[in-house]
Amino acid sequence: MKIADAWRLSALPYSEMAFRSILQNSSNMWWGSFGRGSPESSGREDLVRRALRIARFDKLIITVFVVVAAGAPFLPQALGASYGISASVTLSLAVSFALVVLYGVQTLSSFVTSGPSPVLSTLPLVRNDVSLVNLLSFVRTSDYLVVGSVACQVFFVSLVTGSALSGLFMLFVGGVNSVMGVGVALWLSSVFYRNILGSKQGKRSGVLRLALLLAWGVVVLGIGVLFAAAGYLIPLVQSVLVSPNPLTGSILSLVYPFSLGISVGSVAHGFLPSSVERIALGATAGYLLIAVAVSRWSMTSVASFPEGVSIATARGLTHDTSVPLHKPVAAYAMKDLRAASANLPSAFLFALPVFETLIILLIRAFLPTLGASTLLVAMTLGGMVSLVLPLVLVSSEGTGFDFAKTMPLRMRTIVFSKALIATVVFLPAVAVVYVDGLLRPLTSPFSILIPLASILAVAAASLLEIRLFLGFAPGGRVTFALQEFSRMAAGAGVVLLPAAIYVGTYLLTFNHALAAGAMVVVASAELLAVAESVRQS
Amino acid sequence: MVDALIETHALTKSYGNFGALNGLNLRVMPGEIYGLLGPNGAGKTTTLRITAGLIEPTTGSVLVSGFDATKDPLHSKAQTGYVGEVPILYESLTPKELLEFEGSVRGLAREPMNRRARQLAEAFEVVSAFDTPIATLSMGTKQKIAMITALLHQPSVLLLDEPLNSLDARSSRILKELLSLHVQRGGAVLFSTHVMEIAQRLCSRIGIIFGGKIVAEGNLDQLRARAGEKDATLEEVFMKLTNEASEVENIVRMLRESFFDVENR
Repeated sequence: MKIADAWRLSALPYSEMAFRSILQNSSNMWWGSFGRGSPESSGREDLVRRALRIARFDKLIITVFVVVAAGAPFLPQALGASYGISASVTLSLAVSFALVVLYGVQTLSSFVTSGPSPVLSTLPLVRNDVSLVNLLSFVRTSDYLVVGSVACQVFFVSLVTGSALSGLFMLFVGGVNSVMGVGVALWLSSVFYRNILGSKQGKRSGVLRLALLLAWGVVVLGIGVLFAAAGYLIPLVQSVLVSPNPLTGSILSLVYPFSLGISVGSVAHGFLPSSVERIALGATAGYLLIAVAVSRWSMTSVASFPEGVSIATARGLTHDTSVPLHKPVAAYAMKDLRAASANLPSAFLFALPVFETLIILLIRAFLPTLGASTLLVAMTLGGMVSLVLPLVLVSSEGTGFDFAKTMPLRMRTIVFSKALIATVVFLPAVAVVYVDGLLRPLTSPFSILIPLASILAVAAASLLEIRLFLGFAPGGRVTFALQEFSRMAAGAGVVLLPAAIYVGTYLLTFNHALAAGAMVVVASAELLAVAESVRQS
Repeated sequence: MVDALIETHALTKSYGNFGALNGLNLRVMPGEIYGLLGPNGAGKTTTLRITAGLIEPTTGSVLVSGFDATKDPLHSKAQTGYVGEVPILYESLTPKELLEFEGSVRGLAREPMNRRARQLAEAFEVVSAFDTPIATLSMGTKQKIAMITALLHQPSVLLLDEPLNSLDARSSRILKELLSLHVQRGGAVLFSTHVMEIAQRLCSRIGIIFGGKIVAEGNLDQLRARAGEKDATLEEVFMKLTNEASEVENIVRMLRESFFDVENR
């Protein structure tokens, strides 16, 4: 088969694979819900339509995001900043590597579990042709992302350094980075899905699964931080790279992707390389060899599993069929948590408490006392982060929601259970603040009421958002899209209002006790009002 | 007079301009296995999904054990066990976790529920799959798990959409026995099929659904009388009542000609 024919043919298995991966990971489908238009909006037909819509545009949207993320670290230099390019290249490579892995792992779930196209294997094609088409469908999973990010990096390096040679070297380094990213995504996909979809027996496998999810969630959230804090990180990384301590530089020049970044910097300035740069160039040559090995392994793996990797299931070991029973709200919440633990894109749910706590500790770390304003900013920020959960929890119901719909379940049971999860996820952050409040001086003892009010506000906002997301009102596509945004805005409003009341009351009275009291009263009123409206649903 | 356990009144369901149901009326009495027999797209699945409370009718109503499926879904769903054409389950859970979820939500008593779950799991030979994520099970095993979830709470009404599709011979036999036992203790079964032999053997009454309406119903003799075909098989009666007999003959003739045409070329 000619490569052009195989490339054309690979479009079909690729589309099918992207569609199945999205349908499999329904929590990825939140943005595709914009513009839905059927009262049976959680039905399978709607999910399939949504997955098709997302599969069509997903890669393009992610590519735009990856290009922006890969280009962002170069902006300081493009705008005339004086420090070297090594840190920008390093950060850009790290971000594009992470995003290629992140997207790859989610898209490749269907690839590794059932193969790109089982139908292809049934057609009268020789095995080599099937392998070639498989390989090309695999290439299609990250083609736009890789081309987009590398082109962006080459453009900026050429622009900033004014050197065609450094642009060419960036092309080589970007290629190495992409091959590594795609290879790691493929390896992680098979490891993750073997563990997540495999047998659930044994505490060891349970702990391993949770560890994988937690690690993955932290990586996902870490990429967000990396991207958001690029402006602060570049000077920091650059100062480490030019550190007078040669040991630090030497160690970093061996570490991926610092070695690649330092190498590009070395080629860009054109002087005789320093000892650190020589080490980095040597390490880059080593990474090139690794990339060649990774690409060979990837091609062999992809071509050899048209049927997907086998998922280990431990049949025949169970004898105990007895099950414990719980209250409906607890049972629903447990079901949601169990479903989320088998779904990689929901992994950040498990990492969110860690992340929220980190935000608060970081804000707190630079301040000697625990002021009301610090608490207010930290808790409101943590609360706003929590608001992403209701949307994820509703979206992750997926096709199984039809099963719940055959049960004698009240809407309020579902709403309360999901709000319970969203609120509990916020609690570790609050607990850390209370412990901190006991250990360090507070500017006002009454400001310790702020976290309490924040929990109440987060609970109220989660209830409101979930109630609104599960509701349905007739209207056209634009109306639906506006409704989705207004639902999220409503949740944000509920979190922000008590904080605004605190600020307003304090500015009027200069009394922390009164401000904190007013905040607690407003947050309690919000919770009571929303809970009552949900109870009556 | 005994009240019907399932009763639909002038049920309609439209998807845009397409009318999936066009005024469907049927009654299923206690002790009856009622088979909905019809071609693809006739409205069988839509009828079952409305009765199970999964979708709402455009107009008309459904009563399950006297409870309106739209206005009083909690009571009607408490009386119902449903198995879809494609088993609808939370596939990332294990069967054990799914039954834990169902038993908790339905408020079942622990001991009797566990006993029944064990009996059903042994009957369908799925005990060994109890700790395995449903997503990794075969279609037949998923169908058996769905069947267990439908029978777990001993509902008075069973709604089964093509229930024997993926089952092996042993499990089919067991399911048929379970359905018999279910109706013997006063329950009702509404099930859809397009397999004539199953409908003929299993059902006390058959409703032939075509174009979103029941065009004929009764036992086989009553349907034969309605079709005016004294010794006809159910398939022949079905073809006659749905006016598909002459159309099918034409298609078969056309296919035969095209096949021989290819061979002669």
